[in-house]
Amino acid sequence: MLLTRKSASAPSAQTRLSRGLAGMLAKTIDRRSFLKRSGVAVGASASLATLAGPFNMIGRAEAASDKSAGGKVEIKRTVCTHCSVGCAIDAVVQNGVWVRHEPVFDSPLNLGAHCAKGAAVREHGVTENSHRLKYPMKLENGKYKRISWDQAINEVGDKLLAIRKESGPDASYWIGSSKHNNEQTYLMCKFVRLFGTNNTDHQARICHSTTVAGVANTWGYGAMTNSYNDMQNAKAIWFMGSNAAEAHPVSMLHVLHAKEAGAKIIVADPRFTRTAAKADHFVRIRSGTDIPVIFGVLYHVFKNGWEDKQYIHDRVYGMEKVKDEVMKWTPERVQEVCGVSEADCYKIAETMAKNRPSSIVWCMGQTQHTIGNAMVRAFCIFQLALGNIGKMGGGANIFRGHDNVQGATDIGPNPDSLPGYYGIIPGAFAHWAKVWNVDLEWLKKQYAAGMMNKPGITVSRWIDGVTEKNELIDQDPNLRAVVFWGHAPNSQTRGKEMVEAMKKLDLLVVIDPYPSATAAMAAMIRKDGVYLLPAATQFETSGSVTASNRSLQWREKVIEPLFEAKPDQTIMYLFAKKFGFADQLVGKKDGKQNIQVVKDEPVIEDITREFNRGTWTIGYTGQSPERLKLHMKHMNTFDVKTLRAKGGPCDGDYFGLPWPCYGTPEMKHPGSPNLYMTERHVMDGGGNFRANFGVEKDGINLLAEDGSHSKGAELTTGYPEFDHVLLKKLGWWDDLTEAEKTAAEGKNWKTDLSGGIQRVVMKVHGCHPFGNAKARAVVWNFPDAIPLHREPLYSPRPDMVDKYPTHDDKKAFWRLPTLFKSVQEKNKNISKEFPLIMTSGRLTEFEGGGEETRSNPWLAELQQDMFVEINPKSANDRGIREGEYVWVKTPTGAQLKVKAMVTERVGADTVFLPFHFSGWWMGKDMLDYYPDGAAPIVRGEAVNTATTYGYDAVTMMQETKTTLCQIEKFQG
Amino acid sequence: MISARKLAVAVAALAVTAGLAGCGETEQVIVYEQGKYQGKPDTRPWENEPGASLYTTSKWAKGDKSSWESALRSRSQNQNEYVRIGD
Amino acid sequence: MARMKFLCDAERCIECNGCVTACKQENEVPWGVNRRRVVTLNDGVPGEKSISVACMHCSDAPCMAVCPVDVFYRTEEGVVLHDKDMCIGCGYCFYACPFGAPQFPQAGAFGMRGKMDKCTFCAGGPEKDNSKEEFAKYGSNRLAQGKLPACAEMCATKALLGGDGDVIADIFRDRALKRGKGAEVWGWSTAYGKPDKAQQPAPKGGKS
Repeated sequence: MLLTRKSASAPSAQTRLSRGLAGMLAKTIDRRSFLKRSGVAVGASASLATLAGPFNMIGRAEAASDKSAGGKVEIKRTVCTHCSVGCAIDAVVQNGVWVRHEPVFDSPLNLGAHCAKGAAVREHGVTENSHRLKYPMKLENGKYKRISWDQAINEVGDKLLAIRKESGPDASYWIGSSKHNNEQTYLMCKFVRLFGTNNTDHQARICHSTTVAGVANTWGYGAMTNSYNDMQNAKAIWFMGSNAAEAHPVSMLHVLHAKEAGAKIIVADPRFTRTAAKADHFVRIRSGTDIPVIFGVLYHVFKNGWEDKQYIHDRVYGMEKVKDEVMKWTPERVQEVCGVSEADCYKIAETMAKNRPSSIVWCMGQTQHTIGNAMVRAFCIFQLALGNIGKMGGGANIFRGHDNVQGATDIGPNPDSLPGYYGIIPGAFAHWAKVWNVDLEWLKKQYAAGMMNKPGITVSRWIDGVTEKNELIDQDPNLRAVVFWGHAPNSQTRGKEMVEAMKKLDLLVVIDPYPSATAAMAAMIRKDGVYLLPAATQFETSGSVTASNRSLQWREKVIEPLFEAKPDQTIMYLFAKKFGFADQLVGKKDGKQNIQVVKDEPVIEDITREFNRGTWTIGYTGQSPERLKLHMKHMNTFDVKTLRAKGGPCDGDYFGLPWPCYGTPEMKHPGSPNLYMTERHVMDGGGNFRANFGVEKDGINLLAEDGSHSKGAELTTGYPEFDHVLLKKLGWWDDLTEAEKTAAEGKNWKTDLSGGIQRVVMKVHGCHPFGNAKARAVVWNFPDAIPLHREPLYSPRPDMVDKYPTHDDKKAFWRLPTLFKSVQEKNKNISKEFPLIMTSGRLTEFEGGGEETRSNPWLAELQQDMFVEINPKSANDRGIREGEYVWVKTPTGAQLKVKAMVTERVGADTVFLPFHFSGWWMGKDMLDYYPDGAAPIVRGEAVNTATTYGYDAVTMMQETKTTLCQIEKFQG
Repeated sequence: MISARKLAVAVAALAVTAGLAGCGETEQVIVYEQGKYQGKPDTRPWENEPGASLYTTSKWAKGDKSSWESALRSRSQNQNEYVRIGD
Repeated sequence: MARMKFLCDAERCIECNGCVTACKQENEVPWGVNRRRVVTLNDGVPGEKSISVACMHCSDAPCMAVCPVDVFYRTEEGVVLHDKDMCIGCGYCFYACPFGAPQFPQAGAFGMRGKMDKCTFCAGGPEKDNSKEEFAKYGSNRLAQGKLPACAEMCATKALLGGDGDVIADIFRDRALKRGKGAEVWGWSTAYGKPDKAQQPAPKGGKS
């Protein structure tokens, strides 16, 4: 087979090249590229034709010359659909075919730059040898068969209706997507509620849910406070649990620019990552011990009096109590728990304190733990102590994962909230029903009794919703139907138990451009009851997408949906028709219709305008489609460091109107590039911490101290959030127009649909609608009000478990019993059998579950094998050599057959596996279970087949970063 | 930066191409040292009408090498973020 | 006179392989042929450095010198190209090249079995510019569209620079001065001879 007959010259060229380079520059050679070139077993027959080359004309209508092919060339401006940096792309389209990709140098976010994924996105427009799901399919006798869209909608719809009738709406589970654009993700949130359940979730649960909860509870909004661009203003940057060079490569453009300007880069991580390779200082920590490390550093800050005392006095609640806990983390204790020396802690403290403004970055390395909510708060506290939040060049730069995971978190299908973090309390439903133009009483009847205000099951736990004993779950039925609408299964832990859950379901539906590992896993254990529906990619529709820095960008449609794919909004509408709530989905009532529908496709711009009219809490109100499109057209007018337009049609706006962009579009709020910045006027994107937790706690003032307020505010003291009462008390009520008064009566800044309260407070009086309060170093409503170190459930250190035990078990938590201490106790000594810490993370070439990127030959070629990074000592102790297959075994009984990459990148106590692989199941290739022609080119073991139990005590985030395994030589 | 030998080669190449350019043909033989190149002739990039390809973005005057060079030089600055960002 | 050159700034390269896939998609290079690759040295330990490598379009190209059928030519703007029709796939150029640039596809359409393939600096080859034939054999001709190589234009951190040697050396020199290190430009002297004083990127700093 061609693919296995890999060019003999390529590997030798590599060796020769490496030798040459090594001679010129350094001593060791590149182990990873050895591995990545060594993969010769890429056996996807489906991709054979991609080799027909050398320059096969992949899926193009283009003929003789680019010109002679005739046809107009159109440039469609879109945004990369992989990570959250938001790199703009100019797609060159000829005769409806995407033929070229040009860099957008004008983009202030990426300045034309791309990583491997971004530079390879044009593959999405290639039809020949595509690994896409091409038409609806149905599992029959264990094989996927083609069906029509009509049949698919009817059969899936009938089954879902039957299940709803028999068991209620909560027997279904809807896994939405951070890959949807804002309009789709918002529509999905509504769609699921109209179906009558809160059982919906998406990737943010397993990505940054602990961040969102921890950070929002600390100072107001649970999002990245500054921006990738603003990091250019930092004088020191501390990465902890973030490998930006591989997970967010283009962010490094800004980071390395900052470094060139003198910023010091610190990386603390269990691995010496590619980000660490660019750092001034690298500190290796034991996985899962972030809190002691941070407090160990903060210890030196306090000891040397480097904290910002005025800032803490004015703007922070509870720092004294935290300090008491911090000072317990003496250098000796930190060394014992984390393996980090006093010198290292001091060095970090000194660097961050003496090079202000200093910034921090964290990602999954901190969030995906059973104590993730506390880890991220510890990091927030560190920045508050240094007075770095609300400062240019400072901030908590939380890099989100997927291209629109921020948007999906903000306004998408969340189990505990309607769009804009309104929650699912009765008032939230009343607010949104009004915006949706839906009869609230009708909506209430869609839900099962008593379930409307109860948070749904999380995506991390849907499997338990299926398999847990019925009497132990906090809803009537177990889950019987699951819809994977743009979500991979191999990104969730406990894969071995997932197939058991899949087996038990009545119905499994996958809606995705790529059929994903879900299809193969299901076919492996089922004969029927599985449907696959081809969704269009984001290049085949239009809409807005929110980058990590909260900027919204507008994607133009590049090409028409390929094959039989339909855009997600169309699929939602078709199902809504089937379910009988099409009118409610598009807000058609009383002679009014919010969202027009053209050929079963809800008009995207109408959806944008609908969420503009309702999302007052986080300022998704000012970003009209018109304003966003204008920004995309005039990217060149925005300053790269400040993101602000200088002159031109967007003069004064920040790029992409980073939320909060308060008020109506007509109010022309410029967006907020850096949150909580008191140096700026609120109409210039300035602000302060949010008053969301009352005005006092146990007699202590929670509002900001006198004199601490955003620039130009009429109120120079702390103040609570605004509502009609406060407006009247202050005598500002008459600043409202008569129409605004009518709308604002009895309302607050979040529910006044006229935007009048926000306008008057901000534009007329220079104040912040959400009040002016202190950030909370102590979050009294969380299990650990002050972040405490607790050992992971599967800890390599029984002695540490004794000292730092985990939480008690919880009975009904997000509708499910959730175990902590009982699991930890049971596995206290399991490290005898499974001595290696197993952690996982990203590669540059692939993303998420990886089916999409592993189907792209330009990317797949670069990483052909699933592997485990293992330290030479651990490898030698086990007789394992570079490039050999090994078994990775975990306490769940699962075992993974992967290649060994022997490297110093990990310490001898730790191994690392990338999480983007799927398509092998405990040693076996699952190729036969994929629909014909739709298996990804590269397949491998999914690390999450083998991951263990463990969930965060606030958000149900899954533990992926710290568990245990043993590695053995593979005996064939 | 150029050794004497290379310099001689470069000069030789220049001389030959200059001579060919004088023929006024659109397709030009690009010359390797001693004129040994055995392959097909190739066109110089700037000999193209800028609009000859639908994918062209830069502007130059057909046949005017220096205008093509300056178009490319200015495009090169996209690789220098200091130009856009400042220091 | 414009002399096209590549320069990779090892202080900035993060081995994201953006240049590799940019090249793959721009030129539709088939699986198994790597016109550009990123090589990492001291992988996983302090001192780790990555460099993106392709044909360096040498001033005095060894491939040209050894080719028995003389299919190579250097364009006026300093790009080393070759005529695939004449190539016999002997592989001498591969042995001569200090950068491992020449690639040999194992099979192919268009009667090109075994013919050498390499980076063209996105300048196509000896076929009508931007014609179907040129694209099929050599890939894109961005120079004839007034653009620079896709790899350099799309580099994630602007580590890989491509263009007029004087211009990119200036860009690099400013950067190196700013950070006070990273003055060593890997491969530059091998490909283009020793830099003269004027082009020496940075006065201070040794090996980065």
